[in-house]
Amino acid sequence: MNKLIIKNVRPFVDGALQPKTTMHLADGRWVDEPLEDAIEIEAEGAYALPALFALGLDFQEPLRDDIYTFQNGFSAMRRGGFYGGLYESKANPIDNVQKLSAIQQIFSKSGFTFSILGAFSKRNECEQLSEMLDLNSYGVSGFGDGDHLNATTRFLRLAMEYGSMTSKRFFFLPLDFSLRHTGVVHEGDVADVLGMRGIPRVAETIVVHSILEMALFLKVPIHLKQITCAESLSLIERARARGLDVTCDVGLYHLLFDDTCLFDLDSHFYLIPPIRSPKDKEALWDGLKKGSIQAISCNHTPILRQEKEVNFEDAVPGAISLEVALPAIWSALVNGVGEKRAIDLFSENPAKIAGAEPRRLQKGEVADLVLLQPDKKQVVNPTLLAGAVRNTPLLNREMPSSIIGSYIQGIWTKV
Amino acid sequence: MSALHMKHLFGLRGIAESDIRTILDTAMDFRQVLERPVKKVPSLRGVTVVNLFFENSTRTRTSFELAEKRLSADTINFTTSNSSVKKGETLLDTLRNIEAMKIDLVVVRHKGTGVPQFLADNSRAIIVNAGDGAHEHPTQGLLDMLTIEQHLGSLKGKRVTIIGDIRHSRVARSNLWGLTTMGAEVTLCAPSTLAPRNTEFFNGVRWEQDVRKAVKEADAVIALRLQKERMEDSLLPSMREYRNFFGVTREVLEQANQSVLIMHPGPINRGVELDSEMADSEQSVILEQVTNGLAVRMAVLFLLSGGRASE
Repeated sequence: MNKLIIKNVRPFVDGALQPKTTMHLADGRWVDEPLEDAIEIEAEGAYALPALFALGLDFQEPLRDDIYTFQNGFSAMRRGGFYGGLYESKANPIDNVQKLSAIQQIFSKSGFTFSILGAFSKRNECEQLSEMLDLNSYGVSGFGDGDHLNATTRFLRLAMEYGSMTSKRFFFLPLDFSLRHTGVVHEGDVADVLGMRGIPRVAETIVVHSILEMALFLKVPIHLKQITCAESLSLIERARARGLDVTCDVGLYHLLFDDTCLFDLDSHFYLIPPIRSPKDKEALWDGLKKGSIQAISCNHTPILRQEKEVNFEDAVPGAISLEVALPAIWSALVNGVGEKRAIDLFSENPAKIAGAEPRRLQKGEVADLVLLQPDKKQVVNPTLLAGAVRNTPLLNREMPSSIIGSYIQGIWTKV
Repeated sequence: MSALHMKHLFGLRGIAESDIRTILDTAMDFRQVLERPVKKVPSLRGVTVVNLFFENSTRTRTSFELAEKRLSADTINFTTSNSSVKKGETLLDTLRNIEAMKIDLVVVRHKGTGVPQFLADNSRAIIVNAGDGAHEHPTQGLLDMLTIEQHLGSLKGKRVTIIGDIRHSRVARSNLWGLTTMGAEVTLCAPSTLAPRNTEFFNGVRWEQDVRKAVKEADAVIALRLQKERMEDSLLPSMREYRNFFGVTREVLEQANQSVLIMHPGPINRGVELDSEMADSEQSVILEQVTNGLAVRMAVLFLLSGGRASE
């Protein structure tokens, strides 16, 4: 563990940034007393924010350790200031307790706080239920679809009905696979100009509606991942008004970009669900402001360079985000919703949704934090990224803020 | 003609407490008959009974047939595997043809709810329900009540827990209606995919998803058979998980009364809904249920045919 003295830092305490002060950190806590042999950092007015919690983590090990390893993922989390995350393995669905125990063992040595989503169907195929009661008794935080909800409504009912015995939240990526068909981008003006296969909004809303109705019927708490349009938000709001415990998130890149970015034909913008129109992006920001959206998700998806550095439509969808999420969006978030809500969206709420303990900064308490220089611009280059992958739409772009480093579980990581 | 307040036995829902009492008391008398060297009485001599089984059944059909023989009735067995139903005959035509043979009483089992009622509406014969769909299996409910009474005395205030596939179980429903009518306290326990969702009419019944809580202080535990089809139908993930969370094991029954009765309608999936250790334990009354089934069916046939309890 490292001892740290951070000078001229503005800690985020009790929902607000405090005046410049000196923080003493030892044994993973914010302590009072002066420290010997401590690393000294001149923060120059940087912010000490509670460390973040990532929704949508999948490091793809062990099946694809040619792409990425757990160690790469942990390194990315430290660089990006994340103390934990909600992990859902899509390549190797966690559909039995043997797989769960194996991954729990790896995470227990990592120093991070991980919540794990079990698969509600075997192999995420939506044909047979997984042993959800067993998974629950071994500590899953909820049940997910592996971002591949290819279920009949009857199976959806059975899964939620059976899983309701655990009282855990169900996580869905709402996208109708038959409507998506071979689509790769938002079905709109840009797709029509470029002649690219589109994915209409209704591919999302129709599934959102089904899931909400089913959850209302069965009284099951749910979370909808990566909402992309106003129509979905409106359905969610209505279900909430009818008494449903429903939370939702929006993906980082859906807040940063709209589909005009597709004119570059850069395959790094190939995401599922797709980045939608400027109007949709505006609606998502409105949702953040009004409180319809509870969290911003990272959906950190490492992809081999050779699978991304191809023509757009033949690329593999997905992007990494952990290292760049906070500096890329902090300024816009603060302008849009203020500092407190920005922290809620990136740290407090994701942790609560995942059933994890949120982090707060308080003298004398455990201190997991990220040091952010809000006005220091930074270009995203490969050295900023962990592992051999570099599949972010922000590659070679300038971010308005930068991370100085993170202090998580007593370990200082300088970026 | 019936010695009960009804001509037929469709189910135990809505049946008068006094009728259940009469059936159970009469069944107790027949239990004594079954202990004699000569186990036969002439009560139904000259009465013709048809066992009309549209569903496979070994235990219930055998039990009814033996009950009829013990009462000296003339018995005809009609099963779908060797009948005109296989050739496309309608239910009504089957009934009319059988009735034309001047039969008196029909014991019927069918996969459809309400078939016994339908037969009664279209026939002059007395109808006894031997199981219709997931609706009712009244003689099973009655034999379970008789078994509990034999061991524990009056059903009033006794705590009976039924565990398993309640949603698809006619046994559970008949037990539920009969036991509550007789003043027992019933607790139901099932995985949510095997439990009815709408329980407004299940008055006075306690629901519990944790099997350990469900059996707490129970006087009797009835484990229901788990059909393998429930796995194929995606209602459950595996037998293994079912056994781990809903199986009646020694460890589970440590929560119940020390002298708890262990019951099962049979046939048992050993190691799934009920561990062998418990099925074969001293507390198990499963084989007594079978004997009581015979006595209860004799009582039902006898009383519906006009016999008096005192005869």
